[in-house]
Amino acid sequence: MISLTNPYAQEELKANIALMEVIDPELNINIIDMGLVYGIDFSEPQTITVTMTLSTPHCPMGDAIEQGVMNVLATAFPKRQTKINLVWDPEWSIDNISAAGREQLGL
Amino acid sequence: MADIFINKAPKELAVIPFYGTAALFFVLLCTLLFFSASTLGGHYFSPSILAIVHTAALGWGTMVIFGAAYQLLPVICERELYSTPLALLSYFLLTIGTCGMIWSFWWFDMGWLMIVSGSCVVGSSYLYAFNIYQTSNESNKSQVNQHFLLLSAFWLCFTTTVGLLLAINLRYQFIPRNHLDVLKLHAHAGIVGWFLQLICGVGAKLIPMFLLGKSKKTQLLYAALILQNVGLILFLADGYFNPIGLRTLLYGLLVAAGTVCWLLYIIDAYKHRARKKIDLLMKHAGLSSLCLSFAFLCIPIVLISSQTKWASLYGSLIFLGWITGIILGKTFKTLPFIVWNSRYKTLNGKTKIPMPKDLYDEKILPYQYYLYLVALAMLCLGIVLDQSFLLKIAGVVWVVVSLLYGYNVFRVIFHKNQIKL
Repeated sequence: MISLTNPYAQEELKANIALMEVIDPELNINIIDMGLVYGIDFSEPQTITVTMTLSTPHCPMGDAIEQGVMNVLATAFPKRQTKINLVWDPEWSIDNISAAGREQLGL
Repeated sequence: MADIFINKAPKELAVIPFYGTAALFFVLLCTLLFFSASTLGGHYFSPSILAIVHTAALGWGTMVIFGAAYQLLPVICERELYSTPLALLSYFLLTIGTCGMIWSFWWFDMGWLMIVSGSCVVGSSYLYAFNIYQTSNESNKSQVNQHFLLLSAFWLCFTTTVGLLLAINLRYQFIPRNHLDVLKLHAHAGIVGWFLQLICGVGAKLIPMFLLGKSKKTQLLYAALILQNVGLILFLADGYFNPIGLRTLLYGLLVAAGTVCWLLYIIDAYKHRARKKIDLLMKHAGLSSLCLSFAFLCIPIVLISSQTKWASLYGSLIFLGWITGIILGKTFKTLPFIVWNSRYKTLNGKTKIPMPKDLYDEKILPYQYYLYLVALAMLCLGIVLDQSFLLKIAGVVWVVVSLLYGYNVFRVIFHKNQIKL
C-alpha cells in the first residue's frame, strides 16, 4: 500500500509498476502480486532500498529474481543505485499473494 | 544487501550431463525391454534381466538422481555444491561403468570388463557420497531431508560395494553365502536404502514446494527415516545369516510403515496447498506412489509363490512404475530451471523472455503420460498373464514413451537464447 503522505509516493508507484515486470519463473506471476516485496525506500539519496523476501529461503530462482529487480529499477531510476535487503521475517506465505495473483494462479 | 542464501544454483556441468545421458539410457532400457519381452516373466538371474535391471537402476534411475541431487542439494542445504569437478568425475565413472556392466550382463561375460566397470560404479558412488557429505557438512542447518540424503548416499555405497563383490564372486568365488541370497540383499539395499530414502528426502522438500503447500508434521519424516532404516538393517542382518523367508514380511512392514509416514506428510502438505490445480507432471509423481504401494503388496506373493513372474512384476512396479513415474514427472519441474537460469537470468526484467516451462514442448506431455500408463499396464498384465505378445507390444509403447521423453529433455538441454539486447 502506498501512502499519499509519503514524500516519495510517486517514486514508489513508479517502482511498483517497474517491479511488476519481474516474473517469478516458477509460478509465472510478477513479484508484486506474489507479495515478495515488503517495502521500497527512497529516503537515501541516489539509492533505492528494496526490502523483500522469497517464497522459500533457498529458492533456486532467487538469484534470477534479484537480478530482475536490479534490472527494472536500473531502467526506471538510472540515477539511483539499487540495494536489496532480503529478509525472512515475516516469512512469505500464500496470504501475501494479491487478488490479481490469486486469480492468475487459480487459487 | 542480498543474503548469502541465494545464488546457489549449481553449475550446469554438474547437472545437465546426467539428465541427457539418463534419457539415452532410458531409450536403451526400453529397447532392451522390447528385445527381451519373451524372457521378462522368467527368473531374474538371467543375462537379459540382469542387463535390464542394471540399465534401469544405474543408467536411468541413479543417473537422473545424481543430476537432480547435485541440483537440489544446494537448495536443501542452503550452500553451494562442494565440488563441480567431482560431480563431473562421478558422471564419467557412472557412465563408463554402467555401459560396461550392461554389456557384460547382456553377454554374461563375467571377466575383467565386469570387474572394472563395477569398480567405476563403486568409485562414482563414493565420489557422490563424498560430495553430498561435504556439501551437507558445510551447511549451517540440519534438516531431516539432509539425513535422508546422507543415509541414502551411504546405502548407495553399500549397494555398489556389495554388487562389485558379487561380480568378483562370479569369477572367483569367495562369498561363503548363497550368491542369489546375497543378490537379494544387494537389490534391497539399493531399492530401500538408496532409491526409497533419497526419493523420500527430496520429495518431502520438492512436492510441498511445487504445490505451494506446507506441513508442520516433520516428526512423520523422522519416523519414516527411522522405520525404513531399521526395517532394512534387520532385513540385511537376518537375510545374510538365514534363508530369506516369511520373516521378511515383518521387515517389509516396517519399511512400508515408514513409507506410509512419509505419505502422510505429503498428504498433509497436499491438503494445505495453495495450488489447487494439479498438473500432469504432479499426477505422474502421484501415480508412482501408487506403484510403490502395489510393489509392497506384491512382497507376500513373491515370498509364498514359486512362480518367478511375481518377482518380475515386483521389479517392474519398482523400476518402471515407481522410479520411472517419478522421473518422468519431476524432470520437467527441475531441468528447465537450471537451463533457464543460465540462459535468461541476467535478462529477467529487461525484456520479454521465455519462462522455464516454455523450454520444452508441453503438448507432448499428455501423450507421454497416457502412453506411459498404457505401457505400464500392458507390461504388468503381460507378466501376470504370461503373454509374450502383450509384452512385445508393451515394449514398443515403452520405446515410444522414451523417445517422447528424450525429445523434450534434449529440446531443453539444447535450447538457445534467441534474445539479443
